[in-house]
Amino acid sequence: MACLPACRRLVLWLMAWLAPWLLVAGSAGAQALSLAQARATVQIGGQEQHLDTTLPYAWDKRHRGARGHAQLEMSFTLDALPDEPWLLYFQRLGNAYEVRLNGALLDRKGDLQDFDGDDFGQVPRLISIPVGMLQAQNTLHVSVRADVARRAGVASPVLGLRDDVLPLYEQEYLQRVTGTRVVVVVSLLVGTLALALWWTQVDPTRGIRRDPLYLYAALAEYAWSLRVGDALLVSSPLSRFWWETFFIESIGVWVGAMLLFSALAAGWPGPAARQRMRVAWWWVLALGAPAAAAAQSGRLWVLTAWYALIGLVAVPFIVAYCGAALRRGHAMHRLVALALLLNALVGVHDWLVFRVQVTLGGNTLLRYSSLVFNAVLAYIVLMRFREASAQVRVLISTMGQRIAAREEELRASYERVEQLAREQARESERTRILRDLHDGVGAHISAAMRQLQSGKASSADVLQTLRDSLDQLKLSIDAMHLPDGDVTGLLANLRYRLEPRLSAVGIDLAWDVDLLSPVRRLDAVAMRHLQFMVLESLSNVLQHARASRLRVEAKLRGQAAVIRIEDNGIGFDVVAASHRGLRTLRERAKAIGAILDIRSGDQGSVVEIVVPF
Amino acid sequence: MWSVLIVEDDPQARDFFAASVAGCAELALLAGVGTVAEACTWLGRAGQPVDVLLVDLGLPDGSGLQVIREARRLHPECEPLVVSMFGDEDNVLASIEAGALGYIHKDSTPENVASTIVEMKQGASPISPMIARRVLSKYLCLHGAGTPPADAAPPANASALPSAKEQEVLELIARGFSYAEAARLMGVSVHTVRTHIKSLYAKLAVHSKSEAVFEAVRLGLLPGYAGRSEP
Repeated sequence: MACLPACRRLVLWLMAWLAPWLLVAGSAGAQALSLAQARATVQIGGQEQHLDTTLPYAWDKRHRGARGHAQLEMSFTLDALPDEPWLLYFQRLGNAYEVRLNGALLDRKGDLQDFDGDDFGQVPRLISIPVGMLQAQNTLHVSVRADVARRAGVASPVLGLRDDVLPLYEQEYLQRVTGTRVVVVVSLLVGTLALALWWTQVDPTRGIRRDPLYLYAALAEYAWSLRVGDALLVSSPLSRFWWETFFIESIGVWVGAMLLFSALAAGWPGPAARQRMRVAWWWVLALGAPAAAAAQSGRLWVLTAWYALIGLVAVPFIVAYCGAALRRGHAMHRLVALALLLNALVGVHDWLVFRVQVTLGGNTLLRYSSLVFNAVLAYIVLMRFREASAQVRVLISTMGQRIAAREEELRASYERVEQLAREQARESERTRILRDLHDGVGAHISAAMRQLQSGKASSADVLQTLRDSLDQLKLSIDAMHLPDGDVTGLLANLRYRLEPRLSAVGIDLAWDVDLLSPVRRLDAVAMRHLQFMVLESLSNVLQHARASRLRVEAKLRGQAAVIRIEDNGIGFDVVAASHRGLRTLRERAKAIGAILDIRSGDQGSVVEIVVPF
Repeated sequence: MWSVLIVEDDPQARDFFAASVAGCAELALLAGVGTVAEACTWLGRAGQPVDVLLVDLGLPDGSGLQVIREARRLHPECEPLVVSMFGDEDNVLASIEAGALGYIHKDSTPENVASTIVEMKQGASPISPMIARRVLSKYLCLHGAGTPPADAAPPANASALPSAKEQEVLELIARGFSYAEAARLMGVSVHTVRTHIKSLYAKLAVHSKSEAVFEAVRLGLLPGYAGRSEP
């Protein structure tokens, strides 16, 4: 909305700038000589006619629906002969012409005999009169070829000095030629832009659906540039007949496309009415070609009726459109209504000037007022771009919020899972510790109590049992501290803890433990199993084997860590099922995926624990 | 005759340690106190040498680590021993870094307590395989695979790093070898092995200090040191 005052200012500024340029058209050079009387000879289809006439001589007004030739003879006297060249200016001269002064040829354009040939009447004419050609008594001969309905005729000639005549010519040229060029270029540019917008602005979510608004705008602009640009063409690209048809149809295309554009821009009327409009438009276009053909064969009223038909469709629409805009229209609706109204009024003005009065000079104002639609289109595009940007911003912020919410959800659910995992880990850890305490420390303390209760055991025995119990506790804690799979650390630590017992027994220990890389798959539980197995084997040696030598080895063998405990004691029965310690060893080996190899004989025993990586 | 200060809040344990010290001809009990404040008062008493500090870590008014640092500061000749529970190698390591030169298990026999103190004074610091591997992995972390980037190097105190021999001793202890076995495998005397270990203890303390300085410089607390790190 903030841009509306700015738009208003722009329009006011444009009007202030254009006003003098448009109004000056009427003024004439004060010092120049204007010829208004002529003797005419008119030839139409072999009939010849002589008459006195006033200028301008507008052919269509005097000889409606006919073609022919006119020779005009104008006499004038000069009091003093000029000593510099004069200029001769015709606001309109054509369609083909020949100009002679005192019998000498001044200028000739086109073929006087070639009806419907090239049209040289579209632009104002300026002819130079060299010094010495003008006399006291002068006769100006002008011959023209006049085609049907092509605004043929001879304007009132103006003669005079360069400074008096040239401004008149330049004024007319600016309005009719330069102005037209500007309009054509702008219309072509805007039309191409609109076509590009129509082609590229696709809504991919609903299949390939292009916005017909841009297409109508492009059609209107192209039709209009064709309609207006015709004034710049001397020779038609097609034959007169087809070009005229094409040219007339382009008016229908322009009006229809502009009305449909307006309807779409405002969203008024509804889709059903717009469909009826389209049908009506097709009918108008279909009737345009026969109307053009009829007009060229002399029945001009058919074309007039066709124009009336366009008016019958367009005028009620514009009235209803403006009415709706006034009653309940939004800003865009009112803006377009204003543009339509302006063009309609200018159109009526032009129609009065050119169809009712049939002047020879000037040019339609509609070509300029229609530019307002370009501004409307630009405004629509800008507004849509603004809306789209706003939508994108909203979308991005919504998406950001959604992502944040989703992340929050994920984080919460991750935390729940973490919490569960922690609880589970704690639970299994607790179970393990409890079992450890029960089997280890608990069992020893129970044993010590039984020893005390029985009264048979010496205090040294009880102390030993309690020491064992403490050892068990230390080993449990050590197993927790060991990194997963650190077999070397496990053995070293076990030796450290058992050192007092080993030295008490006085056994000759050979320690051969290599630094093995960790067996990663062994977790804390498995490490505890392994610790139990080694401890059990060593305890067996210390308690039962009566050995003098003990050898402990840890080596890497292939893809396994091998722990080997060898003694030179009395051995034991490997296959005895009743041997509880052996059964437990086997169970634990199985639990941690280790291979247990126990050999025993008179010369001693070997326990080998193979822990594959 | 070495004077021993005992800092232990559990009266039973304190009495046990006091009795152990008193029972040894080479040791003289200075005092048995139960708090950080009392210990510091004792340490601050002028003209009173403290040769051995036997300190528990969990004290009612603070950590035994404070007492160890205070002792090292006021009495450079003092050798602190930390009373440790089994299974708390982390605390032992922290004590060593604070300046302790050994540790005594709470469940040791009285003779063990006395002999550990005397051996330490004679140059032998105990080290368990668990602590050895802790120290090793700490050094591996700090200086092993990735030597610290040159531009971030702390004022490199070369003497704070274990020598190759010291590292070898550590490795052997970590593999479960006894001091004697380690000495034989290395072809040196047991005494040398003990010296290595004690010097390792000292280095850990120094190292922890240089680490602290390095951290401080890195954090911008000691801007003056930044220039000195230039070679």
